[in-house]
Amino acid sequence: MTTTPDTLLYSTDHEWVEITPSGTRIGITDYAQDALGDVVYVSLPTVGATVTKGDTFGEVESTKSVSDLFAPVSGVVVAVNPALADSPNLVNEDPYGAGWICEIAPSEPSDIDELMGAAQYSELTQQ
Amino acid sequence: MTSDAPLQHSPLDAAHVALGAKMVGFGGWSMPVAYPTGTIVEHLACRNAAVVFDVSHLGTVRVSGPDAFDRLQSTLTNDLAKIGPGRAQYTHLLDDSDGSVLDDIIVWWIDATTFDVMPNASNTDRVVAAIGGIETTSQRAVLAVQGPKANELLAAVCPAAAAVGRFRVAQVEWNGVPITVAGTGYTGERGVEIAVPVASAQALWDAIVAAGLMPAGLGARDTLRLEAGLPLHGHELGPGITPLQAGLGWVVGWDKPSFLGKTALEREKAAGVHRHLVGIATEGRRPAREGSVVHADGLVVGAVTSGNFSPILEHGIALAFVDPSITPGGSISIDVRGTPLPGLIVTPPFLPKH
Repeated sequence: MTTTPDTLLYSTDHEWVEITPSGTRIGITDYAQDALGDVVYVSLPTVGATVTKGDTFGEVESTKSVSDLFAPVSGVVVAVNPALADSPNLVNEDPYGAGWICEIAPSEPSDIDELMGAAQYSELTQQ
Repeated sequence: MTSDAPLQHSPLDAAHVALGAKMVGFGGWSMPVAYPTGTIVEHLACRNAAVVFDVSHLGTVRVSGPDAFDRLQSTLTNDLAKIGPGRAQYTHLLDDSDGSVLDDIIVWWIDATTFDVMPNASNTDRVVAAIGGIETTSQRAVLAVQGPKANELLAAVCPAAAAVGRFRVAQVEWNGVPITVAGTGYTGERGVEIAVPVASAQALWDAIVAAGLMPAGLGARDTLRLEAGLPLHGHELGPGITPLQAGLGWVVGWDKPSFLGKTALEREKAAGVHRHLVGIATEGRRPAREGSVVHADGLVVGAVTSGNFSPILEHGIALAFVDPSITPGGSISIDVRGTPLPGLIVTPPFLPKH
């Protein structure tokens, strides 16, 4: 059974969004990492890049397949997780913690409102 | 085989589900891709200790009778006269018109007039059409026990099975159950493959797991075979691909009077291949994938057929068909979805033989 913390927001593309003092921190959900299998490489966005909600801004590669990362909010990338370069398996081991992917300073506050809560996301993944 | 056909289930299906395996469709079968341990842990366990795979999705066709040898010898590429009863041989079934590899096969020579021919899951019908014989796939499970400690650990379960050497075949008993054991595999490691009657499959699987062999799924089977430089039908072998292009000329018994595809293959041998299979060691962890285009000096020289991350080498590895002018030691670049990935042409296997 995969976990879905109540404290986070979720996108339909199986990313989680944490609201932080500086904006948002983003990763992929436990459900997503479980479906992908062992992650071997994460293609991260560039710090300073402007991203648009719904656009591809990176890739997660597992031994099985490649999955695009879709920006859950529009904004500017302010940080990426440097640990993933050598330890992409953190995405599997701690998807909501040490396996975070990037931080985005949102430009459209309404993007946040359109994200799902934990209960709604759990429903989506149990279909 | 259509994608909406119901998947076949292994006799060990319940065991996989009980272990928490993630099941996927493969060649018309529902098979475990990984257990909760994950592909990389399973891969490393096979290189460092021993694992057990369920490979019941492979086909088995029993070819027997006084003409069995002649039927195989005049159809398949390899020269059966080089081996004998109690031995296994890797061989190909070719398309007679162009020498394409319709299937790559292991033949278990059981006794003088009995052979078990093991095609890939989805190619069993082609093999029966070419050679005849009776498909016995549904009567048995096949377990592949692989790794440097495979035989040692298996000895606690069935000493007679553990004693079967590389490319040997033996019929032995386990707890009174007749099993067929061959010193074959698909990982580059020591080990055996065991055909066990369906009714005893779960008990043998459980005994092997209890002896300390980690269950491993098709995900690890694929990364292991890639590190070992072994071809996978549908990737390095298949329509339009001959054994010569795949670097498997040794699988061809050139001196035999005939086999399917011999004329086409001799023609290609005389003219020279227009492409050949090479290994590519790529920089960093990012894997190249099937279909990625290979460039050298700004020109397109070929395409990747399989690519993944090597858990042992900790960088990307790939197999690719390239122009014959591209040879080991050469530098190339692979286009990975728009990003150039530098690589070095190498001769598989990617790991030293051991």
